Amino acid sequence: MQRFLTASAMSLTLASAAGAAPFSWAGTTDPQTMDPHAVNSAPVLGFLNNVYEGLVRRGKDMAIEPALATSWEPIQSDGGGWRFTLRRGVTFHGGEDFTAEDVVFSYERAASPEADTASWFAGVTDVIAVNDYTVDILTAAPNPIFPDSIANWMIMDAGWAAANGAERPAKDAENFATLNANGTAAFQLSERQPGLKTVLTPFDGWWGEAEHNITTATFTPIQNPATAVAALLSGDVDMINPVPIQDAARLDGRDGVEVIRGIEARVIMLGMAQGADLLKYGANEGDANPFTNVKVRQAVAHAVNVPAILQTIMRGSAEPASQLVSPAMRGYVPALSARPEYDPAKARDLLRSAGYPDGFGFGLKCPNDRYLNDEAVCQAVVSMLAQVGLDAELDAMPVRNYWPELREDNFDMYLLGWSPGTFDHEHPIRFLLATPNPEKKLGSWNFGDYSNARIDTLLPLIQSEVDDSKRQALMTEAVGIYQSEQAYVPLYVQPLVWGARDNITLTQRPDNFFILRWVTVK
Amino acid sequence: MTEMPVDRPDVIPPSRLRRAWDSDFAWSFRHSPVAMVSAFFTALLVLSAVFAPLLATTNPYDPASLNLMNGFTAPGTPNAFTGESFLMGTDDQGRDVFSTILYGMRISLFVGFAAVLLAMLIGVTLGLVAGYRGGWVETLIMRTADVQLTFPAILVAMLIFGIAKGVTPVEYRDQMAIWVLILAIGLSDWVQFARVVRGATLVERKKEYVQAAQLIGRSGFAITFRHILPNVLSPVLVIATISLALAIIAEATLSFLGVGAPPTQPSLGTLIRIGQGFLFSGEWWILFFPAVTLLVLALSVNLLGDWLRDALNPRMR
Repeated sequence: MQRFLTASAMSLTLASAAGAAPFSWAGTTDPQTMDPHAVNSAPVLGFLNNVYEGLVRRGKDMAIEPALATSWEPIQSDGGGWRFTLRRGVTFHGGEDFTAEDVVFSYERAASPEADTASWFAGVTDVIAVNDYTVDILTAAPNPIFPDSIANWMIMDAGWAAANGAERPAKDAENFATLNANGTAAFQLSERQPGLKTVLTPFDGWWGEAEHNITTATFTPIQNPATAVAALLSGDVDMINPVPIQDAARLDGRDGVEVIRGIEARVIMLGMAQGADLLKYGANEGDANPFTNVKVRQAVAHAVNVPAILQTIMRGSAEPASQLVSPAMRGYVPALSARPEYDPAKARDLLRSAGYPDGFGFGLKCPNDRYLNDEAVCQAVVSMLAQVGLDAELDAMPVRNYWPELREDNFDMYLLGWSPGTFDHEHPIRFLLATPNPEKKLGSWNFGDYSNARIDTLLPLIQSEVDDSKRQALMTEAVGIYQSEQAYVPLYVQPLVWGARDNITLTQRPDNFFILRWVTVK
Repeated sequence: MTEMPVDRPDVIPPSRLRRAWDSDFAWSFRHSPVAMVSAFFTALLVLSAVFAPLLATTNPYDPASLNLMNGFTAPGTPNAFTGESFLMGTDDQGRDVFSTILYGMRISLFVGFAAVLLAMLIGVTLGLVAGYRGGWVETLIMRTADVQLTFPAILVAMLIFGIAKGVTPVEYRDQMAIWVLILAIGLSDWVQFARVVRGATLVERKKEYVQAAQLIGRSGFAITFRHILPNVLSPVLVIATISLALAIIAEATLSFLGVGAPPTQPSLGTLIRIGQGFLFSGEWWILFFPAVTLLVLALSVNLLGDWLRDALNPRMR
């Protein structure tokens, strides 16, 4: 009854205040921090894109467009770099003016060893404030895609961070900036209850022209997919992301709701510990780590029946993946689109020739609230590996605990989804394949410590190559190496399925970011 | 069975079995259809759980035996890819729901029995001590019990579960999950036992046989456990039966919330949690059959406990 009353009261206010309305949405994953430099993952960056802004941003079609910088041009000098002209008259939510000092501070903060975003600045040698509204970003070598790569580098006010003791981000701990936010974007954070709800309200002092008609925007994390669907159907929330794949077909036929589909740029893959000497979990805990052997990694690739996963768990709405990016990304190599076929006999042969005729036991870590049906996929992987003698002990947990576990190297095998923020194949090479090197800001999500000298050589060449066909040739070589070494086992490209009430107009970006300033409520 | 004339003094005295059959207790059972039906279902479910490996068509806990392509097969209809057919259908991993229920019930029942045993052990001991010793010992035990009683048992169980999970090393969590469940439910459930046993002990300790034992110099320990304990056991039996139903539900609740049995070894609660995700998409059988099993199991044990309470209560005769 209570719910019914609030619901009808809500529809009354909706009807009376035409043109401006509250909006609420739900997702599986709560953005675990409000700090834009602490966690480089889509739920956090996507959410904070509504609160913070970068020098550049991506439009509805993913094209780079001016944000806090109005224009930029390459610096003609030895080495290389870019000169950004900053927007004047921008204020932070707290009232502070936005100047070059904030850009320099945000660089130092986001590129610090404490930050999770440091890999974005690999190759950046210095950031200099030329005057209050001009910033030079210097790089060691020319980097033609640099402006494309910083759309999620969000600018924080230097004075605010210093006054609140948040000059450096806290990845797994808490500080002032994990619970509070002070950006320049169209929405400001008005309430933050981790895991319960987060409320945003429009920022009156925003420099841009508001396209939305939202009065307040409330985000509620709902981990259970069935509950989220029920909340959408009952009108408790206006939008959910994702719609559980199993429910999408049924929702299509329902009045009042709409299912919005797309192909996400995200590739789901299995990672394996390759730098660790010993196995950490399972029956063979403490034994030498078999995943350092390429044959074992290939055996895993042949043992996983991806078509079966797509047919049942993903209900036919996902595409198999052969590379670390989807075919829509720049730098994808069409010639290398074949993935290891499902062949358990071959997997057993590979294990036998690697010296594991009876298989072995190990630990598989998996998130249970991050990717579509992530836990179900992991369970299926466990049973498929068991059929070739690999006894995986599954430990599934929420991302809140998952990323710290991966950073601590607490796994033998793990599930990872990767969506290149730059929409370029170079991105996963820099983050997932480059030998981890905090100093050079490389390989920051290469949890398994994959390392190949040739890949490390190719990366800077790819980054600075201006000629498209030469760049593609370098890319082809890199893909050939990581495929033949089975650095990861790419499984499939995740589909994008959102659900919304039919009075909501919104824009679905392929990076799965939900941008509130494009939302209108009828 | 009436051909043996019991009223004739010259026949041999009735056998032990015969006497049991003729006892008030058995008479009450024979004249309670509810008791008989619930006993039948309890026995059926317990036996099928015990003999699960013989009855089940597959071993759902052996990941190597699963075929993902069997996933989401409806009950009784052959799978479109593999042609295999399943009595109660399959879940998202291609596990046979019928076999999984049988195996899942083993976990539910084992956790239930073990947790009640633990609760009984703690509760009866503390209740006896409190009732016999009195004084500050009694105050301490019973006030602790009162405080714990103000919290819902499931909340206490979750708290204990959280702490236990925090202190067990990660690599042992899956093996420990079942024991942690038992500990959590057992520790959250001892209060009922302690309160009833204390009450009964307070009555018993004023009786002559206790005074006699005290006079001949038996120790307090011997008096409580040798003399008083046997006389306070019948209410304990009643509470134990009702607690068993509650413990089974508590286990299912914890597993449903995702903090109980691991997903690779589903108990009834885990199965219901898995099934709940497919309620809207039409795969009703993944939730329906485990839920009905849990309902029948908890209801019949509970009704049995109810009847036991009436049968053992002299005032109800």
